[in-house]
Amino acid sequence: MGKVMLYGGIDIGSLTAQAVLIDGKRQFSSVHNSSLFLAKSIPVKPNPVDSAKAVMEEIFRENGLEWKDLNYCISTGYGREKIVEEGMANENVSEISCHATGAFSLDPDVRTVIDIGGQDAKVIRIDESGNLVNFVMNDKCAAGTGRFLEVMSRTLGVSLEDLGGVALKARGRVDLSARCSIFAETEVLHFLQRGIDVGSLAAGICRSMAERVMALVRRVGVEKEVMMTGGVAKNVAVKRELERMIGTRMVDSKIDSQLVGAYGAAVLAMKSGRSV
Amino acid sequence: MVEDNMQKVINLASEIFNEEVKAWKEAGGRVIGYSCVMTPPELIQAAGFLPYRIRALGNVKTEKADSYLSRFNCSFCRSCLELGLDGTYDFLDGLVETNGCDHLRGMFENWQYAKKTEYFHYLKVPHVINENSLDYFEEEIRLFKESLEAYSGKKVDAESLARAAGEQEAVRERVRKIYSLRERELPAFSGFEATALVLVSSAISPQRFLELADQIITEREGGKIAYRGTRLMLCGAATDELELVKAIESLDGVIVTDSLCYGTRAYARIIDPQAMLSKPERTLAEAYLLDLLCPRMYEDYARRRDYVLKAVERSNVDGVIVMHNKFCDVHGVDNVQLRMDLERRGIPVLQLEKEYGSIADVGRIKTRVQAFLERIGVIESGGRL
Amino acid sequence: MVNLAQRTLNRGLFERVFSLMELVERIPDDLSDEEVEGITALLPTDVAQTVTAFLEPRVRRAGIFFLKMIARWMREAVEAKSSGKKVIFVPFNFVPELIHAFKSAVPLTSEVLSSLGAAAVKGKGHVYWDFAMGLGIPDHLCSSSTIELGSMLSGTDMTADAIISSAAGACDANAKIHEFAANYLGIPQFVLEKPVDDTSKGIEQYEKNFLRLTESLERFTGEALSEEGLQEVASNINRASEIYYEIWEMKKLVPCPVPNLFSFFMYGCRFTMWGRKESVDFFELMAKEVKEGIAKGKFKQIPEKVRCGWLYTGYYIDYAGLFSWMQDKGYSYLWDILDLFFPEPISIESRESILSGICESSRRFPMTRQMGAESMSAAWLEDAAHIARELSADCAIFCGHHACKQTWSVISMVSRELQRISGIPTLNLQGDAWLSRVTPISVIQSEIDSFVRNVIRNKGERRKIRRRKGWRTTQYPTLATGLEDERE
Repeated sequence: MGKVMLYGGIDIGSLTAQAVLIDGKRQFSSVHNSSLFLAKSIPVKPNPVDSAKAVMEEIFRENGLEWKDLNYCISTGYGREKIVEEGMANENVSEISCHATGAFSLDPDVRTVIDIGGQDAKVIRIDESGNLVNFVMNDKCAAGTGRFLEVMSRTLGVSLEDLGGVALKARGRVDLSARCSIFAETEVLHFLQRGIDVGSLAAGICRSMAERVMALVRRVGVEKEVMMTGGVAKNVAVKRELERMIGTRMVDSKIDSQLVGAYGAAVLAMKSGRSV
Repeated sequence: MVEDNMQKVINLASEIFNEEVKAWKEAGGRVIGYSCVMTPPELIQAAGFLPYRIRALGNVKTEKADSYLSRFNCSFCRSCLELGLDGTYDFLDGLVETNGCDHLRGMFENWQYAKKTEYFHYLKVPHVINENSLDYFEEEIRLFKESLEAYSGKKVDAESLARAAGEQEAVRERVRKIYSLRERELPAFSGFEATALVLVSSAISPQRFLELADQIITEREGGKIAYRGTRLMLCGAATDELELVKAIESLDGVIVTDSLCYGTRAYARIIDPQAMLSKPERTLAEAYLLDLLCPRMYEDYARRRDYVLKAVERSNVDGVIVMHNKFCDVHGVDNVQLRMDLERRGIPVLQLEKEYGSIADVGRIKTRVQAFLERIGVIESGGRL
Repeated sequence: MVNLAQRTLNRGLFERVFSLMELVERIPDDLSDEEVEGITALLPTDVAQTVTAFLEPRVRRAGIFFLKMIARWMREAVEAKSSGKKVIFVPFNFVPELIHAFKSAVPLTSEVLSSLGAAAVKGKGHVYWDFAMGLGIPDHLCSSSTIELGSMLSGTDMTADAIISSAAGACDANAKIHEFAANYLGIPQFVLEKPVDDTSKGIEQYEKNFLRLTESLERFTGEALSEEGLQEVASNINRASEIYYEIWEMKKLVPCPVPNLFSFFMYGCRFTMWGRKESVDFFELMAKEVKEGIAKGKFKQIPEKVRCGWLYTGYYIDYAGLFSWMQDKGYSYLWDILDLFFPEPISIESRESILSGICESSRRFPMTRQMGAESMSAAWLEDAAHIARELSADCAIFCGHHACKQTWSVISMVSRELQRISGIPTLNLQGDAWLSRVTPISVIQSEIDSFVRNVIRNKGERRKIRRRKGWRTTQYPTLATGLEDERE
């Protein structure tokens, strides 16, 4: 690889940390599955700065790159300000803007982004130029976030990855209250004790999750196309429920949905870096 | 010595039983606590007591309060009750309840049930403004005065009431001055500093506040704070959360004005002290009821909206944050109307629902505010993200 | 822009409930079991469940009457719209008789419509709630008013010509959503404030507020209230009130001969047709049905295991099934707060005396009287303790409707004191009374079950205390209303 013009995005989530590198000269197509960027995802460390350092160093090591190859970098997610203070990024941008930019760069027809991470759920509206028009984010409650699915899958004894599949295959569905993840856990246990099958409960959980997210969706409205990003986008049952409730199929993010925020940060870094 | 006075104010604002109140108590003075902006401190002061506006300063522990109030009650009221029950407010000799909102009513009922104060009075405030309600409130003011007299053991004479009203008016006048310096093109105060000043204005004696405020105003009038970025207005529920204001201002924004209960809304009214000599009850009733810009009032939304619109224009605000504490119905609903009316005029709005004082939540609030600032940045730069 | 999130809304709640009511209007006044089965088979499942609850043999005649009365109430609103009369939206804690006294206006009660939506419409009215949430209305608002108002806000439903708000002072959530709806729709809002003041000054102030509202309504409708119109309304009220107390007396009997669902019927009528001939007929029919039940011993078919008082509202999320479910289990639903309207005779001497009587009913309305009091806990407790004693309740249940910040703020005091004064325990449930997706009815039922089992276990002890204190004095009436000693 010749001399690169690297632009970076670092996104620290509640469960995983992501790094994306874009080469301003677009030379990565040969090395990363025909994508125009490099990416790395690792489980988070207790401290966001350590996570950022680890994920960046790994991506550098794997690709024979160094910190000094980095032209401009933007941090987002947890501890994004600290990462700038530590000198690993030039500026920080909210994950809301990063997901908007990421989704729009991947598919310029996208007008609505539903991003559900481990702790947060956001619905973001963007205009035809990719600008942030409006957004809404869940309040403190975990019921509409990945955390809810995590707690529930543990209660059911199904892995988080399998939950969506189990739900899709279920014959029935139990209606659960949609209000609070703590109550929902008690409720699920109550149903398990009554001998209700795991599949129906998984389906109920995914429906309940989607309903929570829909409450946010209604706040800002939906315009086509819709893209789902973040870890929960991998849950097929939640995605299917949301599509049914909204009444449209969502577009595919083409890349790992968890990388969209970091990708957006890298795209923004490229814009900022070039104008510097 | 510029920052010494301001730092003193910040210190005073950061403590509930502050050193001024301690000194007052040590000198044998009595303190009467009130919560609602409808309580006339002039009356409390004229009766010889120190009026103290109850606050929670971001306290999030509510273990004791939660065995009385529920988790469906506003966390600000739960926090205040907690401080009442855990002894923090033991320096209060009396309490004045108002029917400010349903949560507040519940808070005071529980406070009295669990822990009686020596003095207690319920000042009932109408929810609409008309001749009848003014008459009613005038009578309520009279009853309040009588109950204070009964507690102090002596009559509140016209002269002492006029003196107290004069000092309280001076306090409001200084706060208005501070706001005008804050709202100008090159602000002389950050939102954090202005909030601290407002908090202190109702937590120490007026004389002490006037001394401090006058010095600070002189120090700041000619200068400006280091400020960059977006000019914001903060509207909504009772907030005395200095940390929240600080968190918002740690981003690229400065809060240049507000429409808060612990903010401008408490200082808009102008009372002529001379009127205390002839018809004090009527004057106070009119001043407090007619100038109440609180969403608890009905048939009055247009005035609240116009108040915000004027402030937006006057202070050249780029965006408005309307917030409410979870379960606050009066602000929760008013904020929707406000958001719609502001957006209709092309003013960007962030509607924020939050728990009171929750440090764990600050990061999430900051994310939303930052995205809001980024959105405003896009609008201002003509559409380039 | 097409907002896909709102796309499912195309018919309003009122319209949907009314189209069901048009079917109800056609059914005969009494039905055989086979006929009921035939009817419910034709109806959509959700609707059928409600109709089944209302048409159960033990409440059937009253149930049919009730449904037809509601149908008539709704039809009057529909006809008012087409004949140029005013349709005035009122909250449940407002006296509809005042509007009935106008020739040119009809009342519609938002909470009743929300309840009917929750009880009779497919999807239980959730879409209208969702619409309101979409506007940004916080989810801690009250579903009882927001479901119906959400429907009206969506522009798919009948729009009121004016809104009366009588919760100012007693309930922020209710008064604020009314204010929002009036502003959003650009229609007048008339506010009746309840001062939190039970002294003569406060009562006088309420009277002034009430007269001010009456004058505003007269100006708005362009009609001066006539003495004759008021007299008719007042006479009907006086007659219905007598029967209300007659039923109340029968509720005191152990076991309770009044079916659970009658509690709902009583306030359902109070909030809609009070002051009308229909309300007199309905109360007469309910009283007659109870007496017949006593005469035939029907009410003893399921032994009464426990007597429950609902400190606040009931639940309306399962097609009125909770009332029947409790009945089948032998759990008597003696009252909920909405039954406590304690009507007083109105002097029909003059226009002034009648207005003053209606005003007094309004001031003493359920929820207004407790939550609009100077001390919410004291007023609520006083009523609860008094009724618990009068009706020999074994336990109390608080539904824990999330939006009721006032009741939630004092329930801990009230239940503590109720235990101390009356010796009865309180179950604190947590569920939205109009939105089933918050806490499903199955969860509520299982909590009631386990609570009640405990209560039954400790019941003997409480009986002894009661006997000592001399509770319960009423005797079973005969059909001819004479007294007959049928006590165990």
